Amino acid sequence: MMAFLNFYLIPGVVLGCIYALGAIGISLTFGILRFSNFAHGDTMTLGVYITLSLVQFSGLHPLLVAPLAMVLTTGIVLGLDRTFYKPFRTSPAIMLVIASFGLMLMIRSVIQFFWGVQLQALQTGIQMPLEALLPVRFSENHLLIIGATVLLMMAVHLVLTRTKIGKAMRATSDNPELAALTGIDTEVVIRATWAMGASLAVAAGVFLGLDTHVETMMGFKLLLPMFAAAILGGIGKPYGAVAGGLVIGIAEELSAYPWIGTTPLLSPGYKGGVAFAIMVAMLIWKPQGLFRGRQF
Amino acid sequence: MKHLITAAALAALAATPAMAGEIRVGSVAGVTGPIAELVAPIVAGRNLAAAHINANGGLLDGDTLVLVLADSQCDPKAGVDAGNKVVNVEQVVAIVGASCSGATNGMVQSVTIPAGIPSVSDSATAPSITDLDDNNLVFRTAPSDAYQGAALAKLAWEAGYRKLAVTYANDDYNAGIAEVFVANFEGLGGKVTANQVHEPNKASYRAEITTLSGGGAEALALFAYYGGSGITIIRNALETGAFGKFMAADGMFDVSVIEQIGAENLRGNLMITQSASDPSNTSYQLFAEAYKSTGMDPGAPYAAHGYDATFLIALAIEQAGAADPALIAAALPEVANAPGEIIRPGEWEKAKALIAAGKAVNYEGASGSVDFDAAGDVPGFYSVNTINAEGKFEMRFLR
Amino acid sequence: MEQYYGYFLYLLSLLTMGGIYAVLTLGLNVQWGFTGLFNAGIAGFFAVGAYVQAILTTPIYARHLGGYEWPIPLAMLAAMALSAVVGYGVAKICIRLRADYLAIATIGIAEIIRLVFKNEGWATNGPRGISQIPKAFEDLPQPWNTLAFVAMVLAIVMVIYLALERARTAPWGRVMTAIRENEAAAAAAGKNVERFRLESFVIGSALMGLGGALMAQYLKQIDPQVSDPLTATFLVFVMLIAGGSANNKGAILGAMLMWTVWSATEILTSRLPDEFAIRSAYVRIFLIGLILQFILQRRPQGILPERRPKPHPRLRGDRAPAANTGSTKQ
Repeated sequence: MMAFLNFYLIPGVVLGCIYALGAIGISLTFGILRFSNFAHGDTMTLGVYITLSLVQFSGLHPLLVAPLAMVLTTGIVLGLDRTFYKPFRTSPAIMLVIASFGLMLMIRSVIQFFWGVQLQALQTGIQMPLEALLPVRFSENHLLIIGATVLLMMAVHLVLTRTKIGKAMRATSDNPELAALTGIDTEVVIRATWAMGASLAVAAGVFLGLDTHVETMMGFKLLLPMFAAAILGGIGKPYGAVAGGLVIGIAEELSAYPWIGTTPLLSPGYKGGVAFAIMVAMLIWKPQGLFRGRQF
Repeated sequence: MKHLITAAALAALAATPAMAGEIRVGSVAGVTGPIAELVAPIVAGRNLAAAHINANGGLLDGDTLVLVLADSQCDPKAGVDAGNKVVNVEQVVAIVGASCSGATNGMVQSVTIPAGIPSVSDSATAPSITDLDDNNLVFRTAPSDAYQGAALAKLAWEAGYRKLAVTYANDDYNAGIAEVFVANFEGLGGKVTANQVHEPNKASYRAEITTLSGGGAEALALFAYYGGSGITIIRNALETGAFGKFMAADGMFDVSVIEQIGAENLRGNLMITQSASDPSNTSYQLFAEAYKSTGMDPGAPYAAHGYDATFLIALAIEQAGAADPALIAAALPEVANAPGEIIRPGEWEKAKALIAAGKAVNYEGASGSVDFDAAGDVPGFYSVNTINAEGKFEMRFLR
Repeated sequence: MEQYYGYFLYLLSLLTMGGIYAVLTLGLNVQWGFTGLFNAGIAGFFAVGAYVQAILTTPIYARHLGGYEWPIPLAMLAAMALSAVVGYGVAKICIRLRADYLAIATIGIAEIIRLVFKNEGWATNGPRGISQIPKAFEDLPQPWNTLAFVAMVLAIVMVIYLALERARTAPWGRVMTAIRENEAAAAAAGKNVERFRLESFVIGSALMGLGGALMAQYLKQIDPQVSDPLTATFLVFVMLIAGGSANNKGAILGAMLMWTVWSATEILTSRLPDEFAIRSAYVRIFLIGLILQFILQRRPQGILPERRPKPHPRLRGDRAPAANTGSTKQ
């Protein structure tokens, strides 16, 4: 039982936190700008590389410089929005999807050009579980990741429910026409959406970098599971995205649990398919997602 | 838009014709794509060879060897496209590459064999390349995986391991080595307690590792690229305490394994085999010394093979006496195999003089003796790398 | 002289790849352009076609299913048929999903299909793929084999083009456009919307399977990397949007043009100075992205925008032809 908790459930939760933070951004852009942003994963990678440079420059802990990286990444993303997305505000969504596809290629090649493709690390060495908590095995990083995720979620919750801009974002996501009629400035809402999505993506990327390593494809590799998490939770529903991320993270890890006998239930070669299978099943049987997001 | 493309096309065409005093060789590599980080040092090896040749008299009558880079992305589509470009647009006389077995298979079958252009791959290891009906045009300096899996199995057995768990990344390279390893280890009498494929590029493998550790194995045999899943697996295994000892093949050979996980955690616990020449061998030392100028690790997987493949093509051009693909293809085994005076990496002036004098040469490369058999393959030479007191890889040649 | 012969051969290779991609874009045009079905799982149907072709035609080899040695044309038909069957299955469960949801479901299904081909090694040789796939006309001497293969690909593109043009102007095509523009109205006019959407999806999937079968022959090697979503799904969408969605000529032009951009940019970047040697490959990908943004912003309707068939003479004068906006699409 302890093994199940330590080796399957806790890693699943950590992975789920990373997916969840990334999925919030996807869900919000989907809800407010109405398109699936393929460049989201590479925005994440960009934020991680900026963090990496800041760490190398300052020698501080990655989590301490991450907020600055969030600000810088947000600035870049706002610039990209102005140049590449703004011309398509009234166009069909497919134009934005294709534009984000082009942007994905561009961001990644810029990263590869300037930082190179060699593997890098935010932190070296391995982390053994904390003695104090045994037999439950939590490493310091995992506690930091889970704790920081909870804090970020609370911050997102406060922004969305207590601030004017957050309320405007939710209103726009629920019903853009109505929101525009009530005098909400759509452009401000869009900028806030990019800022929130990009910052959370950077956080997710830095957590992933702490748990594994830093490389130029890391965000892209997360893109499809994050999409799956956003769908699962319900489009335009940030809390849903969190739930979706956790479910997918945990399901991926549990798929390798030897439920019957001693071999994994599902060949780990199919691990990547777990998220998709859940997503497809969800779309077919409950297309509005767990949290009753918008249904097209 | 149309103007832009027309202009670009014109610029490309205008720039293309091989300038006088220039001999072009294609350098096809998976520069972008899934193993970009492994390919960079290989291309550096190729470029180093070209630099050596050009600095020491060049080809034939002082012609410059120009390596034309094309990206095969590890994808047969891109491999075929890259092959088409270097063969038809750049009109190269031979090709170094391509990088991955799939891309190489596509490129040689669809483009270079029909066009009669010889190719020497420095990192395609699939046995299926041996089976091709290639008109003696396809060579490689990278040994077929069949050898490395066997070498690692023997090493494991000799190191005293009797029960091993095996996991391999689901890609063309690692799946092949794992298969040979398991067959050989069991053939020696060892027991494979669990043999599990894993999907690369996931953020965590703790669940897979825990499941693998169930059978009471003494160590984990890990076949993966370090960037795809290898480092994550070792880290997860050490952190969960599932495995403490590891054996791996050359997809894992990179200093970043030590940098990321920490030498203190790996010393005495990790053995990585690698296709390489004997480090005490003069050829390897000459190469390693020269390669330092690139700022990369000379032990990087297949960097030496990249150097050798390029150097061999240059020798073959010199031996053929003309930049003619058919003559180069025929000359390749002549310059690679005995008999002949031994030529080592960097010794271009010597080789040039010998060939001019009509003497036979036999290239002894940085990656091994590079003697081509009838299928254009080379025998495998392997070294094992462990981590020494200074936290660096220490190489020992396997005999 | 020899130099120009080389350029000519490269041109043929561009035409071949462009033509194979044109088969895919035409298939996508049926689904997305005409009917508005956002199928983002092109790679899946493409892979089914490619693997069927490979397995049915290759000589016996111990590492994968094979040894059936079917004639090439028959295998191509089988590839289309099986892709159509898979398409039917997918459509049966997903067709009522709209727009982005269908896209994401199909991406997921395509990835699962790819994982199956990758993991079921007994049939497909797993990640190492199937090699030595027979190619039509390969026994002819050079360059006739290349020419014959290009001619075959282009002839197939032409046949598909003519058939689709006919379908587009026929009542069937008009119903499709009606469904895309206003599904409720089409349903109110008594059209079985779901059935039409299903037909469109199946036809498109069959064409994607055919594209896969052609690609398998051309490359002579198929592995899971060939159906990687970047070059087998997204690139096809980019081609269709750049060329002109819902315009069959645009679909073909987009495939040819974007493939040329994709491939020929490297001829430029490989000429960058030595210090950029490896980095030139990244510059190239950046250029591709930039050109795409340029086309999108300058020609948002695609290079050849949609042209509606003229209203039937009987209807002319009854009402003005619908404005060509395309902006009602989601």
